[in-house]
Amino acid sequence: MHTVIEGGPTFAHIHVDLAPGERLTAEADAMASMAADIGMQARLNGGFFGALARRFLGGESLFVNDFENATQATRRLTLTQATPGEIRPVALKQDDGGICLQPGAYIASTPGVEIRLRYAGLASFIGREGLFKLHAVGEGTLWYGAYGSLLEQPVDGEYIVDTGHLVAYDPGLQLKVQLAGGVFASFFGGEGLVTRVEGRGTIILQTRSLSGLAGWLNPRL
Amino acid sequence: MDIDIHYGPGNAAARVQLGANERVTAEAGAMIAMSGDMNIETTTHKAGQGGVLKAMRRALAGESFFMNHYTASSRGGDLWLATTLPGDMKVFQLADQKLIVQGGSFVAAPPSIDIDFGWQGFKTALAGEGLFWLHISGTGPLIVNSFGAIYPIAVDGEVIVDSGHIVAFDETLDFSITKAGTSWISSFLGGEGLVCKFTGTGTVWCQSHNPPGFGKALGPMLRPR
Repeated sequence: MHTVIEGGPTFAHIHVDLAPGERLTAEADAMASMAADIGMQARLNGGFFGALARRFLGGESLFVNDFENATQATRRLTLTQATPGEIRPVALKQDDGGICLQPGAYIASTPGVEIRLRYAGLASFIGREGLFKLHAVGEGTLWYGAYGSLLEQPVDGEYIVDTGHLVAYDPGLQLKVQLAGGVFASFFGGEGLVTRVEGRGTIILQTRSLSGLAGWLNPRL
Repeated sequence: MDIDIHYGPGNAAARVQLGANERVTAEAGAMIAMSGDMNIETTTHKAGQGGVLKAMRRALAGESFFMNHYTASSRGGDLWLATTLPGDMKVFQLADQKLIVQGGSFVAAPPSIDIDFGWQGFKTALAGEGLFWLHISGTGPLIVNSFGAIYPIAVDGEVIVDSGHIVAFDETLDFSITKAGTSWISSFLGGEGLVCKFTGTGTVWCQSHNPPGFGKALGPMLRPR
């Protein structure tokens, strides 16, 4: 499988050249274009109950699409995301613990990658980040994306993140949703709820947030 | 007429320099600045043509598409054109060629280019999402815009493009509305719904981002008025 990300960082999209027999799983509606003889099959995202949980508790789509090249030649598939922004691949190894993704960040993965649902805690639910979080594990490549650019921030100890800007993080990190400051600062300072990240690892942030854009637009409608 | 694209791919704008009394037709709302003595005329169709039938055809197809016709003075003039969503622009130099352009991607063309709506009610209704198609033919430049980057696909056989990702395609290509993958149920459940299938030989220019898709992501977060 040969993949190339073009148009980045602002308009990243992934061209995937599938060799005969190769398969790829992608988020519903991620396909922009493809050779007509690539097979595409919708599948519940992790079994019936798993899919329901992912949809209503994890904020992900109910379905994902499995693409398969059943022809005898290489075929191209182009994938993208809803918002303009950066896309990154991450190589997962069987024993490296995987990566945790915030709702909406997942774009695609190779067949060896499994997306699990982990309980994220009530605080996450209150912070409107879903009751569960997505944990990708296994062997293969996963692509995730964001609105804006992606920036990596190492954490050793604790770090505060605006909740709408968190995209991905090492599974070993602990997340807690809290008020940005005092009650006054939190609601009048424009930051509201933030996420406190504790432990040692890396967090990945998006430089824009869709909820931020909506929040700016709403009073002007 | 000289056209150059500035600030692409993120925030593209086209500068159109018109000679004395030269004329260009642009999508209504695309003008961001122009020379003070530029003359504007707004019609629902190409300037200088009755176009009653064509206007009716468009009304039937559920479209109201206004065009602004800009005419420079005897001293010539400048016109800056841009569109709403962040993205790129591209200039096609047509030489007695036919191109089909997605309505929202059309920006501007001179009078030597013919812009026709054709009959497309059926396909448009099926494709949903407010899509309509302009049949462009003639000789001269054509400016289109995109949401995101533009990538071409050289079709030789069959290619599927999500309807929200089409910018333009060669008229030599056959175009049908169909399902993605092997089953209708799968196509709808997988969020792809109806897609466009291109058959034959020619080029499709795609945009990396999908305006209705972005609308679906942002829309639910907006407060109803």
